[in-house]
Amino acid sequence: MSENGHDHPHPGTGRTATPSTLRVRAMEKLLVEKGVLTEAEIQDRISYMDSRSPANGAKLVAKAWTDEAFKNRLLEDTKSATFELGMDASGPVEFIVVENTPEVHNLIVCTLCSCYPRAILGRPPDWYKSFEYRSRAVKEPRAVMREFGYEPPENVEVRVHDSTADIRYMVLPMRPEGTRGMGEEGLAELVSRDSLVGVSVPEAPSHFNA
Amino acid sequence: MGREVSFSDGETVRVLDLDKSGHVRAPRYVRGKTGTVSHLLGKFKNPEDLAYGKYDGPEKELYRVAFRQSDLWQGYEGNLDDTLVIDIYEHWLEGA
Amino acid sequence: MSGPHDLGGAKDFSGPIDKSQHEVEDWERLTDAITTALDGKGIKTTDEHRRAVESLENYAELGYYERWAAATEKLLVEKGILTKEEIDERAAEIKREWGEK
Repeated sequence: MSENGHDHPHPGTGRTATPSTLRVRAMEKLLVEKGVLTEAEIQDRISYMDSRSPANGAKLVAKAWTDEAFKNRLLEDTKSATFELGMDASGPVEFIVVENTPEVHNLIVCTLCSCYPRAILGRPPDWYKSFEYRSRAVKEPRAVMREFGYEPPENVEVRVHDSTADIRYMVLPMRPEGTRGMGEEGLAELVSRDSLVGVSVPEAPSHFNA
Repeated sequence: MGREVSFSDGETVRVLDLDKSGHVRAPRYVRGKTGTVSHLLGKFKNPEDLAYGKYDGPEKELYRVAFRQSDLWQGYEGNLDDTLVIDIYEHWLEGA
Repeated sequence: MSGPHDLGGAKDFSGPIDKSQHEVEDWERLTDAITTALDGKGIKTTDEHRRAVESLENYAELGYYERWAAATEKLLVEKGILTKEEIDERAAEIKREWGEK
């Protein structure tokens, strides 16, 4: 995690004067002047979000694939499992990790807003926030996954999770065939953000033949 | 909504179609539909209170409720076992 | 009752999903930060934020962080922390400054 938020251009560079950008800058200045927020508090929040990324999720998954006891802890108490790997997912929301199996494939959506395990994975991708994803993921999940290049077998149960409350969901994908002998770091590289939401699954690298 | 309700794992429940204006977290597409309680999540503050700055309202049980997709959508394309699981607060549920 | 945010199964959005990703802009980072910092300090709740977002008249025309910005403004005004006039004024001032560069 970066220490002070000065590892990115200061807000104000590369600006376009749309009504929203101007009003947000205005609110920032007024809130700081009135002592409601400090500049440091705002910068801390920016650094916090910038330090979250799908790489965190990939690390958790790779560890779970290689360490059964850790996997069980990840499934039972996600927050404390993230602490074990040096991630701070504390905050008001709870996490549930749902495990893909040969029988069940999980897919995450938030139809009412765009709830996402931000404290682990960072800001959600644009497609996750799109009205089309929010509308269709619950109604035709298989068609949605096809658009992302994944087609779960017909006999696998597709289980969609609509996160409407204080719980954030993340998928634990299955370890792909043909990755025996791979270390945690290499495995983590196979885990894409999309597979943590469930629209796709990790695949073994084509060059790797263990 | 003064009534006490509690459901157990595996119980069949129906999502109420309450005519409630303002902020609610029970999406339209599950209202009136019947599913099964799949997980008890515990008690949480009611978003319908929190949304209006009322922080001291009673906590509500939150349930994960599983539906068969074919019960939610006419002509659902896929496996008959495909499911949808959603978090619903107790006052939006009744026994079915 | 349900609003423009209640999108599960909505027929109007049955088209293909746009998978392109835009680079997060600084004003979006700032919007995210102000909103969550206010939540963190107990000045507002996530639920108030959601309520404010879904009650925006132009919900469907706004982008994601434009909705956040509008909702945060709405709540700050509602709670008497800022007034619309002072935000108008300051925004106009910033626009002039930027224009002069």
